Amino acid sequence: MASFNRERVEHALNELLVRIVPEFPDEDEEVANERYDAAYDHAYGELSEAGDLRVVADINHVASQIDRRLLSDAGGAQKSARFNNLLSRLVSQPVLDQKWRMLYFLHELSGIPRAPEPSERRGRLRDPATPPRHEATSGSPAFRDAFARPGLSQIPVNEGGPDEVSKAATIRSAAVPRPERPERQRERRIQDSAPERPRDGEQADGTEGPTEPALLRDLPFTLQGLSSTNLAFSSSTVIKLPSSLPVPLVSLLHTLAEPSLLYRGLSEFVESTEGGLVGQSFRSALGKELRSYLGLVATLEGQVRRALAQLDEAQPHHGIGKAGVTLKRCVIWTREATQGLRLMSLMVEESRRKKGGALISLIHSFSLSHGDPYVGAFAERLLSHVTRPFYDMLRQWIYDGELADPFGEFFVYEQSEEEIHAAALANSNEGKGGATSVWEDKYKLNDNMIPTIITQEFANKVFLIGKTLNFIRYGCGDAAWVDTYSKEASKELHYGDTANLEQSIGDAYKTTMARLIDLMANKFKLFEHLQALKKYLLLGAGDFIAVLMESLSANLDRPANTQYRHTLTAQLEHAVRNSNAQFDSPDVLRRLDSRMLELSHGEIGWDVFTLEYKIDAPVDVIVTPFGSKQYLKVFNFLWRVKRVEFALGSTWRRCMTGARGVLGTVSDKVGSDWKKVRCGIAEMVHFIDQLQYYILFEVIEASWNELQEALHKPESTLDDMIEAHAKYLNSITRKGLLGSQSTDFTGQLHELLKTMLAYKDAVDGLYSFSVAEFTRIQEQAARIETRTAAGHWGLTERDTSSPDPFANKRASRSDAGSPFPPPLLNIGDAGASEDDVLPALRKRLAHLIKDFRARITILLGDLIHQPDHDMRWLAMVMNFNDVYQPKRRHSHRREKKREKDKEIPSAAAPKTGSGKSTS
Amino acid sequence: MPADAAPPQDVKRKAAREVIDILHEIATLLNTKLDRQQLSYCVSLIENGAHPEALANVIRELREEYGTDSIDGGAEEAGAR
Repeated sequence: MASFNRERVEHALNELLVRIVPEFPDEDEEVANERYDAAYDHAYGELSEAGDLRVVADINHVASQIDRRLLSDAGGAQKSARFNNLLSRLVSQPVLDQKWRMLYFLHELSGIPRAPEPSERRGRLRDPATPPRHEATSGSPAFRDAFARPGLSQIPVNEGGPDEVSKAATIRSAAVPRPERPERQRERRIQDSAPERPRDGEQADGTEGPTEPALLRDLPFTLQGLSSTNLAFSSSTVIKLPSSLPVPLVSLLHTLAEPSLLYRGLSEFVESTEGGLVGQSFRSALGKELRSYLGLVATLEGQVRRALAQLDEAQPHHGIGKAGVTLKRCVIWTREATQGLRLMSLMVEESRRKKGGALISLIHSFSLSHGDPYVGAFAERLLSHVTRPFYDMLRQWIYDGELADPFGEFFVYEQSEEEIHAAALANSNEGKGGATSVWEDKYKLNDNMIPTIITQEFANKVFLIGKTLNFIRYGCGDAAWVDTYSKEASKELHYGDTANLEQSIGDAYKTTMARLIDLMANKFKLFEHLQALKKYLLLGAGDFIAVLMESLSANLDRPANTQYRHTLTAQLEHAVRNSNAQFDSPDVLRRLDSRMLELSHGEIGWDVFTLEYKIDAPVDVIVTPFGSKQYLKVFNFLWRVKRVEFALGSTWRRCMTGARGVLGTVSDKVGSDWKKVRCGIAEMVHFIDQLQYYILFEVIEASWNELQEALHKPESTLDDMIEAHAKYLNSITRKGLLGSQSTDFTGQLHELLKTMLAYKDAVDGLYSFSVAEFTRIQEQAARIETRTAAGHWGLTERDTSSPDPFANKRASRSDAGSPFPPPLLNIGDAGASEDDVLPALRKRLAHLIKDFRARITILLGDLIHQPDHDMRWLAMVMNFNDVYQPKRRHSHRREKKREKDKEIPSAAAPKTGSGKSTS
Repeated sequence: MPADAAPPQDVKRKAAREVIDILHEIATLLNTKLDRQQLSYCVSLIENGAHPEALANVIRELREEYGTDSIDGGAEEAGAR
């Protein structure tokens, strides 16, 4: 120790010792001197041996330590304030140049305890004889130091603890050889133990329980979640700290216990195997994070070992603060890892009931919405692992169209048969007729499973791509193309590569859609089928329908149960061959079929006949079974209209031709009736014409154009096509007066058509009557002639009163030859009833035309108030010269209904009555 | 002490006394049980390069050894003076 001024030091030390070492009056001077010399020698030796200070020469640091110490004492705030005041005064003094040393000295000598500790912990100190790691030894300076330091000094260089300890040891060794007063010393120590307490603050840190090195040795195991001697895991979530540890140490251990417990829980979770693929990859990602945590623990263990080894080599009771590894430092080192573990366990907790896309969304929410960049980065890192199976599924889905999702984690799920059935039932309630389709129902999008890393729109696209591929493969039987496509286009997809992903999805979308449209158009001839449907079921091909109707009419007039399918198909064949339909492709014609609807009693062929166009597998996605039903509905309606038109037409023709011959001769008797009938028929023909024109041209053709436009859009997808077609059908049925929600046009039209048919029958009756009348007149004239020729009277009483069987026969024969149904009123059988027949006919005709007009006014009234302008236009066309007075039904609805109810039975009654009379 | 010749002797002494006053107050605050004289010798020792921690240890040891502890220590020292 060259650094100090020997002379002055000796002098000052001497003076100091004189003031410290007491003089006992009963001692002789020699002993006192000896004692004083011993003390002096010891002190001097001590001072000269002491090396350099290892404390940072910083007055502020020392001051802050003192300050802290004062604060911990009773009335600390006041003392601290005073101390700070003194300190500032001291600093401003120019005299001392080693102020921090002085402060440090005072600090060292201070009687105020260093840390607030429960007093029972300050136990017996200094018992160097006992072995380490025993409870009683905890007071040994090394450990005291070790325990005391970290809690006090945060500046890495420690405060000369070892020196102090070594000094203490030297003092003791100096003191021990002095045998003269060991008893006294011991007495004193026992006595002193109580008064000593307040002033040996730093020494009071010594405790019972395991020492810091022991704890440090155990720490790596604890951090790995393994039980050790001192720190045992009593269960998976509880770690047992040894009792009787000082509070600061306990709090440190608490901090260190957190990662340990978290690790334990997490490793349990990672080892569990339940959960889907995403769950497993989540586990593996967590496992990876845990491994890096273990890496940290391993490093820590290395440090601890090295530190402990150093301790062992150098001075066994040496403070470990020197070696650089303390519990506190471990806490700091593990802090970041702890945060990671905490985050992971949070994720694990939240992910308990989630799987697949929802799980990804959860982790993604951490990376997105968490303000802490550490958490964000952590979640991102996890995501890149966790999303791997998701992207695998995605890849398989968008490139192969296969759903490889054994755990139901993807946002697309395949419906089982039962589900499809259930969905169909649900649909049937919504009016879809219980129809199912592969395209619509096989796969469904599960909104909950769409991870937030992709957008909804994106998910829809992906869903569509996969569905399309799957459909191409299975629905269209084009697996080869899908395979080559997947081979060519397949790309690895990763999390984070959003641009690439979007691009590949976009490409896949375009390719698959184009391919599907191509297949639909060229392989499955979708457009041809639609065309054919329009031609045949929507009566687009007029010539064909005309031929068919003509050839079938005789057949269809008969009761429904006499219709045979083979005759119908033969007639259909005939119609095809005799119209332009023969030039259609055989594939189309093959699908065209005629059949009968289910029979119900009393129906005639017209009611049950229907054409059918068979649609098979891939195309039925667009022309769904429900769509086919709609087509049939439209066809039946149109067919009925057509039939009425045909019937009216033939009746009109007969009227016209008859007027020149037969009817002219009886005009004196039924001429005015025929005039009325012609007016009525003309009205009806006008109505039917307008109706047909409207439906065929205004409705079907217009919708057809829209459909064509929609179908030939360049970027249209199958979904677009389905939608366009549905819209097409919908607009036809709605505008075609078949599917209106507000008013029941269908019923009205059917009633109208029925009325017209009844009217036509009545007209036929009138015609028959006229013919019979004509024949009667003719026969009478002929008889008169023959009788006149024979020289008899032209007319006798007998002739006028009794019927002529011959005439009767002729009349019925002419009826059988006609292509029309037998007249409702067979009037030839009773000549006597002739006079009754004509008024009945007249009455019926008048009634029917009145009924017809009433119905038409109602219909027009309804049409005029439709929102659709095409329908209003129809009303306008039908009533262009304001012949009818359209009636609003709203005000008179009830009335009309009642009227209608009355009318229907009254209209039906003569018919059934006449039916009876014919049979 | 480093040679600081410029100020006159009494000014210097006054300053020294003030420093000792301050230090003594701090020492009392810290409950070191040092009296003024002991403190001034300690200051002298430390200013001359004695190791502060070692010195503190020595004082503690001696107090322990000779029973000049806490309460009666002050009286004893006072008497010795």
